[in-house]
Amino acid sequence: MTLLHLSGIRKSFGAVDVLHGVDLDVAAGEVIGLVGDNGAGKSTLMKTITGIYSADAGAIELDGRSILHLDPGERRRIGIEMIYQDLSLAKQQDVASNIFLGREPVKKMFGFIPGMVDKARMDREAAEMIERLGAHLPSINRPVSSFSGGQQQTVAIARALTFDPKLVIMDEPTAALAVREVQSVLDLIRRLKSEGIAVILISHRLNDVLAVTDRIVVLRHGRAEADLRTADTNMNEVVARIVGGGDTASAAAHELGGHR
Amino acid sequence: MKLRKLAFALAAASLAAIPVAHAEEGEYGVLMKTLSNPFWGAMGMGVEDGAKEAGVEYFSQAVESDQAAEPQLNVCNTMLERKPVAMITAAINSTNLLPCLKKAQDAGIKVVDLDGNLDPAILDKEGIKITFRIGSDNVAAGAQGAEYLVSKIGADAEGPVLVIEGLSGNITGEKRARGFADKLKELAPGLEIVASLPGDWDRGKAATITNDILTRNPDLVAIFAANDGMALGAVESVYAAGKGDQVTVIGVDGNSDAVKSIKEGRLNASVAQLPYLVGKQAVENVKKAIDGESVPTDVAVPTLVLTKEVLEAGTEPMLEFVK
Amino acid sequence: MATTATPGIWSRAQRASIDRLHIRLESFIVLLVLAAAMAVLSPFFLSVSNFLNILLATSTIGVLAIAATFVISSGGLDLSLGSVMGLSGVVGAYIAVNLGAPSPFGVGACILAGAIAGYINGQIVTRAFVPAFIVTLGMLGIARGLALVISGGRVIYGLPEYLLFLGQGRPFGIPVPVIIFVITALVAHFVLAYTRFGRHTLALGDSEGAARAAGIRVERQRRILYTISGGLAGLAGMIFMARINSGDPTAGLNYELTAITAAIIGGTNLFGGRGSILGTMIGALIMGVLQNGLNLLAVQSYYQQMAIGAVLILAVFIDQYQVRKETRA
Repeated sequence: MTLLHLSGIRKSFGAVDVLHGVDLDVAAGEVIGLVGDNGAGKSTLMKTITGIYSADAGAIELDGRSILHLDPGERRRIGIEMIYQDLSLAKQQDVASNIFLGREPVKKMFGFIPGMVDKARMDREAAEMIERLGAHLPSINRPVSSFSGGQQQTVAIARALTFDPKLVIMDEPTAALAVREVQSVLDLIRRLKSEGIAVILISHRLNDVLAVTDRIVVLRHGRAEADLRTADTNMNEVVARIVGGGDTASAAAHELGGHR
Repeated sequence: MKLRKLAFALAAASLAAIPVAHAEEGEYGVLMKTLSNPFWGAMGMGVEDGAKEAGVEYFSQAVESDQAAEPQLNVCNTMLERKPVAMITAAINSTNLLPCLKKAQDAGIKVVDLDGNLDPAILDKEGIKITFRIGSDNVAAGAQGAEYLVSKIGADAEGPVLVIEGLSGNITGEKRARGFADKLKELAPGLEIVASLPGDWDRGKAATITNDILTRNPDLVAIFAANDGMALGAVESVYAAGKGDQVTVIGVDGNSDAVKSIKEGRLNASVAQLPYLVGKQAVENVKKAIDGESVPTDVAVPTLVLTKEVLEAGTEPMLEFVK
Repeated sequence: MATTATPGIWSRAQRASIDRLHIRLESFIVLLVLAAAMAVLSPFFLSVSNFLNILLATSTIGVLAIAATFVISSGGLDLSLGSVMGLSGVVGAYIAVNLGAPSPFGVGACILAGAIAGYINGQIVTRAFVPAFIVTLGMLGIARGLALVISGGRVIYGLPEYLLFLGQGRPFGIPVPVIIFVITALVAHFVLAYTRFGRHTLALGDSEGAARAAGIRVERQRRILYTISGGLAGLAGMIFMARINSGDPTAGLNYELTAITAAIIGGTNLFGGRGSILGTMIGALIMGVLQNGLNLLAVQSYYQQMAIGAVLILAVFIDQYQVRKETRA
């Protein structure tokens, strides 16, 4: 069953055509790797899904209903969540403040002064959220800037989860991480999948993409150049599809060497 | 951890380095405006010598600038904690010290208006009775400036005159400017004040004003500035415009910079106040008042027109008080 | 990786003070040490009346420091605080004295004049994309000039009695400005530390992108913050006006810098994201105690300025040291 259905998505900025009719289907609980060279149109495509850009032509459906007319806030409310590479965290605030930013639960102080943020509840629920992700943080009350990149990623994912998303788009989540932390982020992605949440993973790190995805979609010159089942493909083929012919062997060798 | 201890130790040590001051019976509190002006420095010396001669203890405070109205009020309140027998205060404006002075009066502390910054009408309304006010008569000082000008260029002289006032709203500057203007009108109606602008006691600002007015009135004959700093700024502009011989510049205060400039033949005159004498007499009169002698409510300390001739002759007896 | 060091009593106390009250314990201890030192050095320091003196002397600057804390912790800056305070006092006095309006209008006029100035700051910052530094620097000049124009450069003297009470009244022996100041501080502390508005303010100062991504209406939030800042400057203007029974167009000169100093000593991050009103109050009191003590010791005002400068640098140094230690851990 298809969760997200894109067909014939076109987008141009002035004279520059970025997307030339992209088709893409994502099933519930499916992890899709979106790869492609710089300028292939990956982030334009994702911003078209989240509603920051509107498509010039084509259809976008979620659960069979067109969402083209919805703005980013509305799309988020129906379950499309994106985690940007910079994570959009308020680094001096603690975990719960970040997870609940903009949606803090309130209670009455001393039982009668309204509008007080229920910090105890925030902390409790934040801790549950982190636990649900199977992750560990040194302390929930510390500013997130004191955490490692992977731990910050955990906070960002936990925040995304509070919106009860059906689809989470992650932009280069492993790009800036230490090797051992990459594994924990990949584990988080698997955890999302196990909860039935679809993930679109944008990454240059093909090893990570091959390790965690069900399918890999290659974007090239604004088209879906290839749609590969991860189980049936390998590094060489993916690289070949990204660069499109030419000396694919040496490019693949470089990729293999580069990320080990 | 170590760092924290170090910080505390430093804080404590720096405080311990300050000598402990002891209050004696019958201390006088002296609150000036600011020390960044030779005028107040000279007054401070007068207070010191006066206290020494009279054999009284005093402590003195000032604030960072002559516009720090609220800080001065706060300092005043703090000074009352030392329970002085008298407060000799030079208020920054006519109202900023009122609550403190009232509190002092209620505590039976004698209040003295140093340099005449308080407004008698406002004091009446607030129910504050000061022991006496002491200072130069600023209206008279302005008038003396006008008299000097007329004596120099003649009663039938004609032409434009510039007046540079003090800070807007400051009563001292206002009185001097008014004294000058009124006297000038009376003595030499041909001299017309074409502009009377606030120079904010600022040398640079006075120089700028002078430049601007010289552009508009190239035939300017005289400038009266409400203090020496501004007069010296005006002098620079006048000489830069090559009109040193044409324009007579007069200041007020008689501070050391002005004296030097007069001796060099640049500034024409300064109506010298005798801040040293004001400070000295203030303490002497407070002593008298406390000892039960009668003291006039208005103690006027004379002013003296300093010119190159007066300074070179050196015969004027009051010159010894020009510091 | 994360070695769980057993936290000492100090760090637990520190943690608790930050979590519950949003203040750093160091600044509180510096205040106590300073007060103790003053008490030892001057026999006049330890008395109820002197304590009230300190609070009274801190009241206007303290209210401005609250304003500074709101704006700075949101990543903004308000350099017009002191001028707006002067303008508000003059507007209030003009309305109450020259126009003879009833006292509540005088009070309202002060706060409204400040709030309008702040609202204009906020509108320009968020709509014209002129940096806050420039906008509020411009407002600094405009407000001061306007205060001089309205008052004709003179103090407007002679307020009605009810207004005077707000500056000079002493119910239960406590000066009214101190009462206003303390209540304002408590309310402001509650707002900044415990409400959604306050948390969004800090998040905004931390990362505007994160705040925007979380659906916070960033521009609206900023406009409200600048308006609050101006309104508080108006309140400070009202307090000072009532204290000296007149609207003084030069009131609050350079106060913006003192207010910012208090906020920074109290642990506010100059670049936003961190700040607490109680912390700022401690910062303001550190400065107040220092000045009061040095005044009692009859130390010249020049040295006082040096001492406050040194405390500022020391406070930020200790703070940075603590923050870096935390980040490394």
